[in-house]
Order: sequence, then C-alpha cells, then structure tokens
Amino acid sequence: MSDELKPDELLDKVDHTPASGSWMDTTVQIRPGIFSYAAKPDSLETLGAPNPRQWNPLDDDWQLPENWQEIIHNGIKERLEKFRTFKIFMDVCVRCGACADKCHFFLGTGDPLNMPVLRAELLRSVYRNDFTTAGKILAKIPGGQKLGGGRPMTVDVLKQWWYYFFQCTECRRCSVFCPYGIDTAEITIMGRELLNLLGLNIDWIATPVSNCYQTGNHLGIQPHAFKDMLDFFTEDIEEITGVNVAPQFNVKGADILFITPSGDVFADPGTYTCQGYMILFKYLKDKYDLNVTWSTYASEGGNFGFFTSHETMKRLNAKMYAEAKRLGVKWILGGECGHMWRVINQYMDTMNGPADFLEEPVNPITGTKFENAKSTKMVHITEFTADLIKHGKLELDKSRNSNRIMTFHDSCNPARGMGLLEEPRYCIKSVCDNFFEMPENTIREQTFCCGSGAGLNAGENIELRMAGALPRANAVKYVHDKFDVNTLGTICAIDRAALSTLCEYWVPEVEVYGVHELVGNALILPGEKKRTTDLRMEPLPGMEDEDE
Amino acid sequence: MNINKSLEKNRKKIIDQWFEATIKSYPPETARVLGRIKNRFDNPVGSATQESLENVFDQLFSENTLDPEKLEDALDTVVRIRAVQKFTASDAVGFVFELKDIVKNILETAPGEDFDRKVDQVALAAFNRFMKCRESIFLIKATESKRRIHKAFERAGLVTELKDEDLL
Repeated sequence: MSDELKPDELLDKVDHTPASGSWMDTTVQIRPGIFSYAAKPDSLETLGAPNPRQWNPLDDDWQLPENWQEIIHNGIKERLEKFRTFKIFMDVCVRCGACADKCHFFLGTGDPLNMPVLRAELLRSVYRNDFTTAGKILAKIPGGQKLGGGRPMTVDVLKQWWYYFFQCTECRRCSVFCPYGIDTAEITIMGRELLNLLGLNIDWIATPVSNCYQTGNHLGIQPHAFKDMLDFFTEDIEEITGVNVAPQFNVKGADILFITPSGDVFADPGTYTCQGYMILFKYLKDKYDLNVTWSTYASEGGNFGFFTSHETMKRLNAKMYAEAKRLGVKWILGGECGHMWRVINQYMDTMNGPADFLEEPVNPITGTKFENAKSTKMVHITEFTADLIKHGKLELDKSRNSNRIMTFHDSCNPARGMGLLEEPRYCIKSVCDNFFEMPENTIREQTFCCGSGAGLNAGENIELRMAGALPRANAVKYVHDKFDVNTLGTICAIDRAALSTLCEYWVPEVEVYGVHELVGNALILPGEKKRTTDLRMEPLPGMEDEDE
Repeated sequence: MNINKSLEKNRKKIIDQWFEATIKSYPPETARVLGRIKNRFDNPVGSATQESLENVFDQLFSENTLDPEKLEDALDTVVRIRAVQKFTASDAVGFVFELKDIVKNILETAPGEDFDRKVDQVALAAFNRFMKCRESIFLIKATESKRRIHKAFERAGLVTELKDEDLL
C-alpha cells in the first residue's frame, strides 16, 4: 500500500460503491448485519453512565444531549492531556498506509473505511480541525480543511465513529506493521470511550458490563447457579473418570485463587475446557496437596469494561485483587481468556495495584518463579501447566487425543498483548501427537483475529463477524485441506465461541477445543477407572465399539 | 476454430479480464489491494476470487454438459465470501455475466448461443450457492446462542424446553 496510498488523496476519493462521493461528505450507511444493537438504558443506569435512553442506530435522531459537541470536544481535550499515547498517535501518523491491508475487517468486508489508517482518520480529522494550530488556520481558508485533512464534528461524523469503532476488535494486528508503533486499538479504545460519554455503547458490551458490576459475571449468574454449573460438571466428570473432582469455593487461606472467564462455565465448548481445569486441580490436590479455590464473587475473568472506558475497566478489574486479598491466597491463577490477559498484563498493576499483599508467584510444585508475573501476581494457566509438564509432574496419556489433528489459533491478546506464544503450543504437543501450524503470516504476532472480539460477538452483526473471520478461516481451511486438520485449539473464551461459529460457516469439518480440554482428556487421575469417552462424551479413539 | 479451443487458447487473458471486472464491484481502493497482493493469506478475497473463476472457466470449455453440482462447488469459494459482504443478491452473482462481453471482445466474434447458455447456467448455479450461504447465515444467527448458552443451562437443569411429545 505504501507506494500507492497518499492518504489525503485517498480520503477524498473513497468511493462507497454503490453509493458515491467522498467519505468526508457522505452520510454513513448503517447496515443491518454489520451493526450491533444499542445499549439498553437499564444497563447504562447500573453504572451511572451518561445519557441512558432507548435508541435505535437506524433512527435519524440518536437523542443526543444538547451540548454533545462540547462534551466530545472536552472529552478529547481531557484525554489528550491524560494519555500521552493518544496525543502521540494523533500527531505522529504519516499515513504511509503500511497498516491499510492488515486488518481482518478490511480484508473480509472490503470496506475501505475499515483500513486502520482510515478508521483512525475518522477521529484524527476532528483532532486536526479542533486541536492543531495548522488545522485551526486552514479551517478559515476555503478548501483549507481538506488540505489539512481536518473536518468539523457533526452528527454524521459521530455516526461514522460509532459505526466503524464498533467494527474494530482492538486486535492490534495493524500495529505490528506500523513503522511508528501506533497502536490503532488504542485509538478505537479512545473513540469508544468518547462515544460512551454520549451513551453510545452497544448492548452486547453494556449489558455484560452491568451484569458483571452487579452480580459478578457477564451473564448475571448468581453464586448458587455458578456453583450448580460446576457441580454439574463434577457429576459428568465422575461418570467419565470415576473420580469426584468437586471444586472448592471461596476458601480462605487457599494457596491459589483461580479466575476464568464465565464463558468457560456457561457456554459450549468452553464448558469442556472448564472441566479440564477441574481435573487438573483435583490431580494437583491429590498428588501434591495444592489447594486451589474458585470464587463466586470474582466469577468473571473477562472484562468488557475494557471495551467501554478505562474507568469501567478499572471498576470491574478491582474485584480480582479484592477477592484475592479477602481470601488471603498467595497469588492468582488465570484461565484461558483473551482480553482478560491484556487487561492484566498491561493495566491491572497500575490501575488497581500494587498488589503487595500477594506473593510473587512461584509454582509450589516445581519451584519455578514466574518472573513475568512478579508485579501483577497473576499467572496464565498455560504457563503453569507447561511448567508442570516440563518438570514431569503430570502423568499424561496422549493416545486419548490421537483422533485430534491439531492446529493452534493464537488469540490476539495473549499473543500480541503479552507474548504468550510457546506455552500453549508446548501443552498441546505434550497431550496430542498430531500438530500442524497454520502459515506463518497468520499465526503468532501476525495472528488473524476471530473477528468477534472486543464485544462484537453478538448475533445481529453476524455478517460483519463472518466477513471479519475470513482471513483466519482461510488459513484454517488451508491446513484442513492439506493436513486433514480437524481441531482448532485456542486459549480464549470468545475464540471458543466465535471460532466454532466461523468454522460452521467456512470450514464445517473443524471443531474448536480449549487447550485444557485436551489436557483434561490426557491427564491420568489417581484412582480413575478405564475411560471410554472424552469430556464431550464421545468415544475415545479405539473405544468406538465399547458399550456404555 | 472451435469455440472451446478459442477459449482454451485465450484462457489467461479471459480470466485476467474477468477477475478485473469482478473485483471492480468493490470500491476502487479495495479493488487495488485485491488485485495487487499475491499471497493468498494476505489477500483471501483476491485469491479466492481468482481460484473460483479459474475453476469455473475450466469447466466451461472442458465439458460439453455442465454439472450443476460441480459448478456450485467451484463457485463456492467466491460466492461464500460475497454472501457476507455489502452486495445485493444481484451484485453478488452479477460478475458471472461479465464473462459474455469479455469473451465476445477477446474472440472478436459472438461465441454463440451454446456459450451464452452455459454462462447463464453458471449464473444460476451462483445464485443457488448464494442462497445456500444466506440460509446458512440465517440458521447460524438463529441457533448460535441457543446452541451455546442454552445447552449448557439445559444440562444443568436451569432451563427446560418443551419437547415434541409435550406439545402433542
């Protein structure tokens, strides 16, 4: 792109076939299948968020406060002063276009305004007009605004912001290719934060946030129901293994507090990953007397506050530390989640830390110090399990997963947000014989997003999700066709849900598994009976003819 | 010269022009990217479009009677993508008809009714596949949340659904 796109020219020329004209002049066409429903007023009220009301993005009137332009202007001003990154990212982009063709939403939808450079320009153009000297001077000259790439804030601009900032999953693939290291995800984060000042959130984010704030998890499941679900898994696992793996809840003085996204507890196929954790903890209790507790208060690892505003993210995140403090555990172990790890790795310590009441995490079984978690006091479960496997502390039967021909999807946040690349692969290879990587420009730091992250895994925007998922699905299909891959491993709760759907549309022969589901299948529990099925109650390889 | 032989001889030229015409259905900035990047993982839409057009074209001149199922399979790669993009139904499959003019211009003669009929068959196959993809999208939309959350709740006895026998 860099040799072709001169952004000022480009911005003027963007042609929305079949509509026509410049993006600066054209009213945004909000299309069903692409946008997500507006936030319900009740959910905004829970948090005391501004402008709660019933509204519809397809209506002309979005029922904005009278002084909405002033709110946005002051909002930008405040954030430019508060966040140095935001200020730098507004100024430093030379619009080289290196990011333009790196976004899965651009590649999948073909909509030029999904090029990261242009999505950022939606906000940057207003910044230039209102906050830079050049912009202010040029605004007074006829044609000057276009020359300077600035434009005034209008309702149409606001609608463009809303439409396109909720077509970004904050995956940061574009930032890998930016020569200046601009993190376009942070521009989306700021854009959404500004929109929230006017009550312009989407419901798939606002309601989980509200539930999480009031009840402790995205679905608003109360403690007894949370416990019921895990009790139910306990029964299932006992049927399969003959061992009672009943977890413990809210235990003061436990060694470790375990927190995972509630998707693992309530949504298939994450529920099987959850069963994998339970089997692991039972094994560690019996073999090494490790005491892990779950919490019905900190019953959500995910943090949709991250997709709302920094303040909301902080409020939701605080309960992790609060619960760890209340229970008096040594440190926190975190489950397979995506954005939860970006929040922990990048924000938690400065937002709600220092957690000096916790210990620097050490694996009590192997003695390994988790140096990277020294400050946050929270360890990723694949690091923990990989460490146990590396030290030969787990007894594993790989043959139970021999019907799984694996590939691995690097979830954006653990991969790009915290550099967790090897540990999940090590775990998979330790419990499965067949593993094939997808092409290198689609994995690790360059991984393609599932297309449903950052609060976009709703139902009404299914076309956006399927289009955004295309680059990932394209690589999955390649390894399926070439190596007969039938299983896509992942370490993110949104991925487990989103990838299952994307496979259903693009590569129906491939199923999605969490890494700890595979670990749970392979781990040999002390005193277990001969297993004939896996955790999905499907016959194990070679057991197809066994009677129940 | 036999029409099939002419088509075969001009294969690359025809497919190139057909590809150009197809990606012109996207905004020009997008079309530039789709036409330029050769790596199939960096440019899934461009490479899928190219692959589909080649497969369909090869069926046109290599077979006397077109097999509708085989045609649909060849079209799947491109139509499945266009079914979730910003196209009306007619725009999503309209690229097929571009072939008529392209072939006519390149061969400098009308390729004949038989060829036109074949192209029409391709268009109908494309429409069939487009509808299947749309139906699949609607089905996924209708069942996705139920399949996930509802199933887990049901297993835990938190919700229950009336079964057919309860309704009779």
